[in-house]
Amino acid sequence: MKTCFVFLRALVLLACSSAAYSQGFDAVTVARGQYLATASDCIACHTAHKGVPMAGGLVMASPVGDIVSTNITPSREHGIGNYTEQQFSDALRKGVRADGQPLYPAMPYVSYAAMTDADVHALYAYFMQGVPAVDKAVPPTELPFPMNVRASMKLWNALFLDESPLKPAPERSPQWLRGRYLAEGAAHCGTCHTPRGFLMQEKKELNMAGAQVGPWYAPNITPDGATGIGGWSEAELVQYLRGGRVEGKAQAAGSMAEAITHSFSQLDEADLQAIAHYVKTLPAIEKAEDGAGKAERFGQGKPGNALGELRGKGYQEGMQGAYLGAQVYSANCAACHGVNGEGTPDGYYPSLFHNSATFGKTNLIASILYGVDRKTGDGHVFMPPFGDQPNAVNHLSDDEVAALANYVQVRFGGGAPTVKVEDVAESRAGGPQSHLLPLARIGMGAAVLGLIALLAFVLLRRRARGGRP
Amino acid sequence: MAISRRSVVLGAMTLPAAWLGWSSMPAWGVPAPQAPAIPVQQFMQLSKLLVNHGLDPAIGARIAQAAPGIHPEGVALTGAILAIAEARKARLVEDFFDAIPAGPMQEFAHWVIFAWYSGCSSPKKDAQVFSYEGALTYQVTRDTVAIPSYGFSGPNRWQRPIAPLSALPHF
Amino acid sequence: MSKLNSADVVIVGTGVVGVAIAEQLLDAGISVLMLEAGPRVDRAEVVENFRNLPLARKGDPSSCYPPKPWAPHPMPSLETPDDSYLQLTGPDKYAQTFIRYAGGSTWHWAGTSWRLTPQDMRLQSEFGVGRDWAFDYATLEPYYARTEHLLGICGPADPALQWPPADMGTPRSRPYPMPPLPFGPGEERFTEVVAGLGYKNIPTSQARNSGMPYDDRPACCASNNCVPVCPVGAKYDAATALSRLESKGATIAANAVVYKVEANAANRIEAVHYLDPDKRSHRIAGRLFVLACNGIETPKLLLMSKNDRNPNGLANSSDQVGRNMMDHPQLTMTLTLDEPYWAGVGPVVNSGIMETSQGAFRSEHAGAYFRFNNFARNRFVTFAALNKGLVGKALDAEIRRMTACTADVVLAHEVLPDPDNRLTLSDKKDWHGLPKPAIHYDVGDYTRKSAEVYSVPIGKRIAQAMGATDMKIATKFAQSKHIMGGTIMGLDPRNSVVDAECRAHDHENLFLPGGGAMASTACGNSTITMVSLGLRAADAIVRQLRGA
Repeated sequence: MKTCFVFLRALVLLACSSAAYSQGFDAVTVARGQYLATASDCIACHTAHKGVPMAGGLVMASPVGDIVSTNITPSREHGIGNYTEQQFSDALRKGVRADGQPLYPAMPYVSYAAMTDADVHALYAYFMQGVPAVDKAVPPTELPFPMNVRASMKLWNALFLDESPLKPAPERSPQWLRGRYLAEGAAHCGTCHTPRGFLMQEKKELNMAGAQVGPWYAPNITPDGATGIGGWSEAELVQYLRGGRVEGKAQAAGSMAEAITHSFSQLDEADLQAIAHYVKTLPAIEKAEDGAGKAERFGQGKPGNALGELRGKGYQEGMQGAYLGAQVYSANCAACHGVNGEGTPDGYYPSLFHNSATFGKTNLIASILYGVDRKTGDGHVFMPPFGDQPNAVNHLSDDEVAALANYVQVRFGGGAPTVKVEDVAESRAGGPQSHLLPLARIGMGAAVLGLIALLAFVLLRRRARGGRP
Repeated sequence: MAISRRSVVLGAMTLPAAWLGWSSMPAWGVPAPQAPAIPVQQFMQLSKLLVNHGLDPAIGARIAQAAPGIHPEGVALTGAILAIAEARKARLVEDFFDAIPAGPMQEFAHWVIFAWYSGCSSPKKDAQVFSYEGALTYQVTRDTVAIPSYGFSGPNRWQRPIAPLSALPHF
Repeated sequence: MSKLNSADVVIVGTGVVGVAIAEQLLDAGISVLMLEAGPRVDRAEVVENFRNLPLARKGDPSSCYPPKPWAPHPMPSLETPDDSYLQLTGPDKYAQTFIRYAGGSTWHWAGTSWRLTPQDMRLQSEFGVGRDWAFDYATLEPYYARTEHLLGICGPADPALQWPPADMGTPRSRPYPMPPLPFGPGEERFTEVVAGLGYKNIPTSQARNSGMPYDDRPACCASNNCVPVCPVGAKYDAATALSRLESKGATIAANAVVYKVEANAANRIEAVHYLDPDKRSHRIAGRLFVLACNGIETPKLLLMSKNDRNPNGLANSSDQVGRNMMDHPQLTMTLTLDEPYWAGVGPVVNSGIMETSQGAFRSEHAGAYFRFNNFARNRFVTFAALNKGLVGKALDAEIRRMTACTADVVLAHEVLPDPDNRLTLSDKKDWHGLPKPAIHYDVGDYTRKSAEVYSVPIGKRIAQAMGATDMKIATKFAQSKHIMGGTIMGLDPRNSVVDAECRAHDHENLFLPGGGAMASTACGNSTITMVSLGLRAADAIVRQLRGA
């Protein structure tokens, strides 16, 4: 009798412990879930630098403070091992945690809201059964007050979360519909490429027209001829998504390099073509990067050098003199990018003219400070950083970066220098900060003061009236 | 007007003093007449005849600036060699080089060629440097070997067949 | 910033050995303070220094590293006999080109990383010459593997192309972290030609990022400038590690010339003293000390630190400090060929014939290793071409021909330890008033005989097989600038300076790792062995400090 009870108890425990793990999802569903997780690029945010996949811990600088990604492995103690499929779906599409608290929209649930139930099911299967559990805690996100009051997100969601963001479009081809489903949904392009309003919501009327992402600028990818990618063919877009580079036009760095490494480079050709097809049908919006002017950002500049001013005179002299930008270029960049900015003859190291990275200023500064790191089927593209990192080839100062960037702009880019030293300092610090935080605090402070004043006024008046018995 | 004896004596003394002062100054203290600068445009004209390649005027300006310090007759020599080239209606160096007489003119012509090809004023360790990567010795072989310190290809992409000697790059 | 004046471990020298040890100690939670005689200089400055040099000076690897007055190093193309740093005597001149900057001499090394073979470490037992090492190859092998992964050393997976060769019973415990770099066209041709003579020209094991970034540094882009400086950091040099060490908590003090190591009454090391550029002296205390200054500066410092108890210098009860100075004597064959080879595609040293360094003949004479030097030839041939008085198309053709059709093949030899090959303190003084090193050197009959009966005859056969129309071979040995032997390792404290872990026999808390500890040279460049000794010393230091 006793052994029977022990046996039963063991059976129950076994059943419970495996409840979240081997719920018997078939291999096909799990594989489809893995593909969708790749398309959604969960790994990029939910994995720390050189960390275990999906175990969280990546600290992301947002305009309102640092956000730490969570452990989404099926660990029961530290991950989502206890999530039911409904809870998983609510987190993914409504931005609500299992404990009922809202998520910050750094998690792009406003995009994932587009995903179908079947796809959410497959994702759930993958995360419960296809991802190894990692029983390691991750520090919680602690944004400064009042951003840490998650309840305020409920109001934000009421204003800005559309739970069915993709409106029916029966006249569209299956390829277009698939492209839209991926671009607006899983691949969440708008999260980076759509500018945000004051309350950090995506401005739908400017969909994909370009936005700041930390120190980088996610450019205008609407088909506008001058300020967007109107001059790109669908095939070039596919090539870019697959390998991160279209020679003579652009190459991916920062978060886009990451997205290509972890996500786009591994998607099916048909899906990439669908995304390219859809993106090329977006409403064209004429919107350039701030200060970049309305010229086309591809096809600018030409080769050349200023070495006649520098050779035979000495490095220190070059660094003190009027040709600082040219001196920094020669000493730090020319070994790969060429004496005249032409890159290497095989085109592997890109030319700096006919290169959108040198047209505006944001991505130019960020490339210099942070480098490029992009792994695709073509290999591992790596430009080292020149900021404060331990592996910086040289630690360039704000003045040096500004001089360099201006030199590059004038010689290889749009022709006019627009970089200020403060721009470099801001990029080095992680990008522009939002005014939302200090203004929210000021606003709250003002509200509190206003309340106190009102209370005081009411009390004084009551005393004044009720003073006589 | 009577000249006082004092003033005569004093005057007589200043002359030797001045002479002593003058002669005791080291030679460079007395500014010698500067070797005249070679106008850059003329120097580039000469260079293009002696070196039949695309030449960077910024480098030419550096060489032209240094030339008088090494060849004080540079301006005259430039003019003379240009005249020879003109007389032969030369477009290429082979058209007229044999007509340049041995001696200072030929030396100067060789020096100009040396400066463009080596990027230096001399083969010595204390030479002036006009250019490194623009030195034509590197342009002659830029299709086949790196200019040291400048990347040649993408990672591990430099295997290639042996290039023929005859295929001189265009520059 | 707080001014530290002590740490658990004080490391003198920020070259490849000091830096490797520092990182091991920091990772083990031990505090590290590093003292560097010379300045901290940016890579950008060194690269531009190189580009601004006159063509005539571009072949001297020290030229783009002008020394600070307080930390002189040899400057071959600038020195006069009166102001030279090294005072050299003897039939062979022990000329060197080490760099006293933070990062040390790996700033300008080629990256060549040949392992020793088991026989290389047993010359006395196998051949009756030289010294045996204090341990065997099997003991060193795991450290070789660690060094290869630490520095990022690339090499072949095919055992037929590896060194040591598989038939020496020396299996590699770990594969190379990166595949070999491709040969340039000249190297391919050389490989073909020497195969016809029965020699294998194998890929050089080298500290260079091959086809991929490694250690957060970019891949090699074939800028062919490894010597004197890699512009992008694809070649490992110790300077690439300095910021990382600081991020791990190391304190690195530059322009600090250590001039005295202080031992106490119990002959334990208590402190080191250094001079700053204002000639003020500072004292740095620690629990344990590492001198990794290079094979000349370390014995020099030990000799300068003599005291009453150690009248011949610290760590010198054996009288071997400064003795047994060794290098790899080399002869360069300059060939004119009747077909284009085009040296200059890829890194500057990328392949070599190593099998000729081994054999029973080593009881009679030295072995040798042969390498096709892959430096771009323009700087070697330009003046000669211009001197021919050619102009126009003839000049272009001649420069192109000479660049393609000339080549240097280097014959690098081993040398035996000779106590008369000796570093002492000269009576010449440097800027700080410290004695300049004097070195007496004679490569010895063992090596001379090799040139006579072995290496030069092979070299001539190679030249002939290459179709050389002209061959010039150096008549005097030059040095390879691989400084070894001055603090030699051995089991017997009476005839060696350091023990099997590079700990000074005389001072329990003083370590002298690096080239100076090597008991034999073999023919291949010494850096990988030096770093492996450093890692072994680091392990011993960690054990020693934790055990204390």
